[in-house]
Amino acid sequence: MNDIASAKVLEYKGNTLRFTPEDPAEAKIPADELHEHLQKPSTARTKRLKERCRWKHASAGEFIEKSVTAGIERMRYLTEAHKASVGQPEAIRRALGLANVLNKSTLVLQEDEFIVGYHAEDPNMFPLYPELSHMAVQDYLRSDYSPQPADEAAAINEYWKPHSLQSKCQPYFDPADLGRMYQVSSMEAPSFASGYNSIVPPYETVLEDGLLARIKLAEKHIAEAQADMSTFPWDGTKGLDNIAKIDNWKAMVIACNAVISWARRQARLCRIVAENFETDPKRQAELLEIADICQRIPAEPCKGLKDAMQAKFFTFLICHAIERYASGYAQKEDTLLWPYYKASVIDKKFQPMDHMGAVELVEMERLKISEHGAGKSRAYREIFPGSNDLFILTVGGTNAKGEDACNDMTDAILEAAKRIRTAEPSIVFRYSKKNREKTLRWVFECIRDGLGYPSIKHDEIGTEQMKEYAKFSLHGNGATDEEAHNWVNVLCMSPGIHGRRKTQKTRSEGGGSIFPAKLLEITLDGGYDWSYADMQLGPKTGDLASLKTFEDVWEAFREQYQYAINLCISTKDVSRYFEQRFLQMPFVSAIDDGCMELGMDACALSEQPNGWHNPITTIVAANSLVAIKKLVFEDKKYTLAQLSQALKSNWEGFEEMRVDFKRAPKWGNDDDYADGIITRFYEEIIGGEMRKITNYSGGPVMPTGQAVGLYMEVGSRTGPTPDGRFGGEAADDGGISPYMGTDKKGPTAVLRSVSKVQKNQKGNLLNQRLSVPIMRSKHGFEIWNSYMKTWHDLNIDHVQFNVVSTDEMRAAQREPEKHHDLIVRVSGYSARFVDIPTYGQNTIIARQEQDFSASDLEFLNVEI
Amino acid sequence: MEVEKNVQNQPHVEMSTAKPCRSCKWQTPDPTDPHRGQCTANRHAMGGVWKRWLRDVENTTCSRHEEGKLSFRDHV
Repeated sequence: MNDIASAKVLEYKGNTLRFTPEDPAEAKIPADELHEHLQKPSTARTKRLKERCRWKHASAGEFIEKSVTAGIERMRYLTEAHKASVGQPEAIRRALGLANVLNKSTLVLQEDEFIVGYHAEDPNMFPLYPELSHMAVQDYLRSDYSPQPADEAAAINEYWKPHSLQSKCQPYFDPADLGRMYQVSSMEAPSFASGYNSIVPPYETVLEDGLLARIKLAEKHIAEAQADMSTFPWDGTKGLDNIAKIDNWKAMVIACNAVISWARRQARLCRIVAENFETDPKRQAELLEIADICQRIPAEPCKGLKDAMQAKFFTFLICHAIERYASGYAQKEDTLLWPYYKASVIDKKFQPMDHMGAVELVEMERLKISEHGAGKSRAYREIFPGSNDLFILTVGGTNAKGEDACNDMTDAILEAAKRIRTAEPSIVFRYSKKNREKTLRWVFECIRDGLGYPSIKHDEIGTEQMKEYAKFSLHGNGATDEEAHNWVNVLCMSPGIHGRRKTQKTRSEGGGSIFPAKLLEITLDGGYDWSYADMQLGPKTGDLASLKTFEDVWEAFREQYQYAINLCISTKDVSRYFEQRFLQMPFVSAIDDGCMELGMDACALSEQPNGWHNPITTIVAANSLVAIKKLVFEDKKYTLAQLSQALKSNWEGFEEMRVDFKRAPKWGNDDDYADGIITRFYEEIIGGEMRKITNYSGGPVMPTGQAVGLYMEVGSRTGPTPDGRFGGEAADDGGISPYMGTDKKGPTAVLRSVSKVQKNQKGNLLNQRLSVPIMRSKHGFEIWNSYMKTWHDLNIDHVQFNVVSTDEMRAAQREPEKHHDLIVRVSGYSARFVDIPTYGQNTIIARQEQDFSASDLEFLNVEI
Repeated sequence: MEVEKNVQNQPHVEMSTAKPCRSCKWQTPDPTDPHRGQCTANRHAMGGVWKRWLRDVENTTCSRHEEGKLSFRDHV
């Protein structure tokens, strides 16, 4: 067994570099047990909370823990309210549905926790959403995780069939087109079929104003609208607008009151337990403190850090799990919490604590998110293997004045992540050269401990992107230049505005995937999918004989891509049409300043366009095009017919030919031939064609290349490809990352290749695996810091790192029960390694572990 | 004869079959539509799975049918 210390010796600028661990004590730790020495919860309480955490990780559509199951209460009370509110305005029906769920659902209070609240009747459960997709609920009814009583759940799902978003949207599309999308091989299924969603909740208004103030605002608007309607002379061209507005404001009032009552129910529960059941005086006092907090907030503005953390968590539960399902944990957490950190930790004005008190609170927050259960459809239980859902918060970057936005809360968030070691929530760090070194050091510490996060986004690229999208705002009220600094990742990769208004409220604005590898495969067969579904999957672009030149192949691919991306975006916009009519979000609307001012529902109002879609498996398609151009059309070593024959034989009997295609130039080696074709592919087709589309908000739709676990799922639905890949093999694991094991020229060659793609992109995920001994050595921070500066100067959008050794991953495969704390970066999210299927684990091990040569260090201008 | 054997090896329609793909350990449900499924029987030495879409899991079968359910570790 290797140890962590590297035997590597490097001659660099006249010095001999040895990579001994920065912490000498690590020198004797075997490489396969490193992670066991890295967890350091800040208190005994968070250690206990982690040990009893009810993880809800899923892989291959199945929950890892057998005790996890769907609850019935949310669907029961939502349905009860829907039946009882027939005839009322739809926005008000939605608010009454939320109120009925919050008023009647069972509350959960667990030992040791300080942040309270849950979204189902049992902490092992999660809610379902029959109002979104009845197919997704049907899948649960047939699974081991069906809500009970099963008959009642089935009847509820049957009731919602005609009312669901799925049923509202489907009639506007050709069933053949939808059938192609539902397979998730060339396109992701539309959100109305899966129920999947994303949101950036305007947490700021809840923390700053409190909900009582929001209710007063809505009531004021109602009174003004009613006064306007009775003003002489009546103008029917304007006066009638008040009807929908009044309904929306009334719905907001109902929703806010319901949330306040729900929080106060939690307060009563804590008080009852403290006064009647709890025997430990310390916990008794703590429960009374929690009761006091839940009595005041979110009704009133927050005054200290404990208030803010609780108000934020209640808001998260409503926006992401109770009013409607939404993945994600989008927020600029350090900026959001800074005033409350200052009040509690620095000024000691309210809820006084020291810095480590703040760290403990964040650790507890991380464990609440780790315990969160998402009632996702099967597709989404497959494509984030090893996690429960995508939870990603953002820190760092610059503020509205363009200054460093890092503060001591940023450091508390990062320190807590390093200490408690949970896969969720993941963290995005907005990298600017203005960021203070103290915080960069925390970022590095998390990365080199193998957490896989923070993933890094380029601060200036994101800010400029917000300004660019603002130009397309339909009513000219997109982000100002100052507000453009207020961005977070909506989910894994795509920036969107955060704050009191202009945030993304639904995934029909941005999100969803398209799969170029499958599109390339069917391009070579006239749009026919012979390898997975055995059916026509795209337009009939002509058989092989019609592809006489490389440009013919290129144009045929373009046509397949145009068809698929058009369908993807039109299904999202049709969803948006019905969301604002039948899936209103009165609570989200109430906490958005724009919706409040205009009396509009959150799904209807669009101030800042943010159209995006995720190309996944682009590099398999791109490398394939390079190989076709070189071997078929330039070298003329093979014909397209021969290639097709080899592909349909899964290369069996064509090994020499496969090796030729495998050895053709590949992305990520700073190879001008490959990079030229691939850059054109990204800029002209992947981005160029996508941005021709205008979405609901009036802006272009741009590609945000990434992979999540879809690189494995879509790989398994994609036949052999001309890059030398076998049928079913995984595809590329990033948005712009080299295919696993094909980047042979070191980390700086990867950067040079990736930096060539600049036009027509919203974001592209770069997955890199770095050497553990080098990163843990005394030179680790300097090398990483120089890498980041070079990355920044090359104007690359994103990078994320795995710093986990093969030894450790192999040991976890042999004895998973001993390695529950081993975390890896999959793509866009981190996961517990042992909760990932074996094949997925192997794809992570197969990624190129980047070493650094002297010429790499020179390119990075490392000062050692 | 050889062709016949190959057909039996591959998922094929057999109305009201006693060995439907639905109950086969190599089958996993379709990601979106619960009436469809996916066959995962084709596997690489590395553990990769080359899936085949199953249009109708109640009335499709093949000679590799085995009752049961695989662990998540054996999928992708």
